[in-house]
Amino acid sequence: MADLLVQFLQNTGYYMADYRHCIMIIVGCVFIYLGIAKHYEPLLLVPIGFGILVGNVPVFKGLGLSIYEDNSVLSYLYFGVTKGIYPSLIFMGIGALTDFSTMIARPVLMLLGAAAQMGIFITFLGALALGFDPKEAASIGIIGGADGPTAIFLSAKLAPALIGPIAVAAYSYMALVPVIQPPIMKLLTTRKERLIRMEDPREVSKQEKMVFPVIAFLLCCFLAPAALPLLGMLFFGNLLKEAVVTERLAEAARRPVIDSVTILLGLTVGASTQADRFLKPESIEIFILGALSFCVATASGLIFAKIMNLFLRQKINPLLGAAGVSAVPDSARVVQMVGQAEDPTNFLLMHAMAPNVSGVIGSAIGAGVLWSFMV
Amino acid sequence: MNGLDAISANNGWNIAALGITIVFTGLVLLSLAISQLHKILTLWETKHLFYEQVKEVWQKKRTGVADDDRFLAEEQPPEVVLPKSLKKSADQFNILVLHLGEPFPLPKLLELAIKRGLDRPHSTLNHLIQTKLIVPDKLGFFHWNEKVYNCISEPEDE
Amino acid sequence: MQHIDMKLLKSIDLFKDLEGGELGQIASILTPVRVTEGETIMRRGAPAQTFYVVLSGNYMVYFKGGQAFTLHKFGDVLGWSTVVTPFYYRATTIALTSGDLLSMSRLEFLRLVQKNAVLSGKIMKKINEVVEKRLYFLKTVSGDPD
Repeated sequence: MADLLVQFLQNTGYYMADYRHCIMIIVGCVFIYLGIAKHYEPLLLVPIGFGILVGNVPVFKGLGLSIYEDNSVLSYLYFGVTKGIYPSLIFMGIGALTDFSTMIARPVLMLLGAAAQMGIFITFLGALALGFDPKEAASIGIIGGADGPTAIFLSAKLAPALIGPIAVAAYSYMALVPVIQPPIMKLLTTRKERLIRMEDPREVSKQEKMVFPVIAFLLCCFLAPAALPLLGMLFFGNLLKEAVVTERLAEAARRPVIDSVTILLGLTVGASTQADRFLKPESIEIFILGALSFCVATASGLIFAKIMNLFLRQKINPLLGAAGVSAVPDSARVVQMVGQAEDPTNFLLMHAMAPNVSGVIGSAIGAGVLWSFMV
Repeated sequence: MNGLDAISANNGWNIAALGITIVFTGLVLLSLAISQLHKILTLWETKHLFYEQVKEVWQKKRTGVADDDRFLAEEQPPEVVLPKSLKKSADQFNILVLHLGEPFPLPKLLELAIKRGLDRPHSTLNHLIQTKLIVPDKLGFFHWNEKVYNCISEPEDE
Repeated sequence: MQHIDMKLLKSIDLFKDLEGGELGQIASILTPVRVTEGETIMRRGAPAQTFYVVLSGNYMVYFKGGQAFTLHKFGDVLGWSTVVTPFYYRATTIALTSGDLLSMSRLEFLRLVQKNAVLSGKIMKKINEVVEKRLYFLKTVSGDPD
């Protein structure tokens, strides 16, 4: 009887826990707090935060409880992450949710979305310089795309061992877009530039919006076929939205599907951050490189917008460059916020959506390109 | 291996340069394609668009007239005859205004009216504004309109 | 959810340029609200989470220094700080009489921005006209609205 009790006590989490578990549980609680109390991306941070708690309850091996054990419930749920299923489904939902008309109306703003992807490749170089192997470096670089699903997709393909830290870094920085971007935006632009008003975009016809996903899909995926799982689903979702006759499917993609997948993705990514795998020096390097990646991406967009202004007759507000990082629609909202701080009657939100959504396409192409180079 | 050597050894410079070039090429191609898209579609749809434009102009004209009518209706001068109870309220508000001095802040007048226990102070204040007994200046403060106050009468049947 | 009449929506200045499908989208995120005489609709300094369109009733909007204006017209907009930085109400609004409003939450509006940027742009433009008038008022009355 006493032996049985001792055995039971030795198998409890209280007995097996060490300081690393405690650290991770605190991290999980901070995520939940930020999501609920501070409203920082609550739909992502709350599932991830709770997932961190789930993943860091110490369990003994052999019972099939850990996410890394074969045949455990969590490992089946995690399958969608490791095989890139969840990111693709989320992209379908984003496509069904997103209006590309501001981008179609002013295609030149797409270049800002391309410029912001500099962050991916500069961080890739930084990660190589720090001694990461090329596949890991590519997965770390993609954090600069500011797109959680893309970062998870690429790291699942190239560096599965790093999914946890990369996903947590990507989503943390996405949640911190309103904190990270404004100082860089103010530093790299003058007040006069921030006051520039954008012309109203032309009206985009329904036909254009319907034809766009098909043309965009063909053009992008013929150029970078490795982006097919992400861009294929993105433009398919958008076609469902714009085709009108498939509104029911679009509604399913933009609400129940994306919400269900976000829950599963958040929870399992959180659960994958087990203390023994997460608390390593590499994770700290990944976080530093991730922050650098975000800053470089923001700065690249802003500087490119200023360069474009040297050639454009109708100047664009360079703040739009910051929306080229694809955190949709947060970075566009930050552009609106910074622009309005100078002139409360200047509405940049609608215009910022153009580089913002082109950033999504750009980061997916970037991920596809890196993947194809590494295999 | 670390530093620039690691980048060179892993072909990093080429991958990064080629990578960003491909991203730019993809988005430039897409932007060129969609910048021409509406022209092609416009050519295809000219007749239909022409019909819609004519229809739009016609509809705008119709709704424009209707709006003007509504606007005119809203601009009708307010009724100056006050019910007996409101006449009494106007007198009470007038005392409060004399106490506040002119121009006076409207929220302060309302606050005083509530404190003094005047009957339905919010809607009474609204009525006095609607009948132009209380009028705004351009600075966000209000005046008591003596001209209207002197002209108001009570309904004969009351 | 209460049904919102499309004809009513179309007759509101803020929405008059919208087409059928767009009006439907707007209707889906608007909620009718009944306010009673003396009710405080928004309080200065509180986070601006909702903006309102006046259907009926009379309202007083007042600022820190006691400056005020009143709104009596169908289609007037209240709570434009919901879409203007720093996203807190700059004035307190009180219902002078009972009335009906249509409310739209900030969160729903931001979702609409992602879903249909052009539509939200049209509404923003209209709100901008109101903001410009009100900001002119604010500058005239105090120079510093807060």
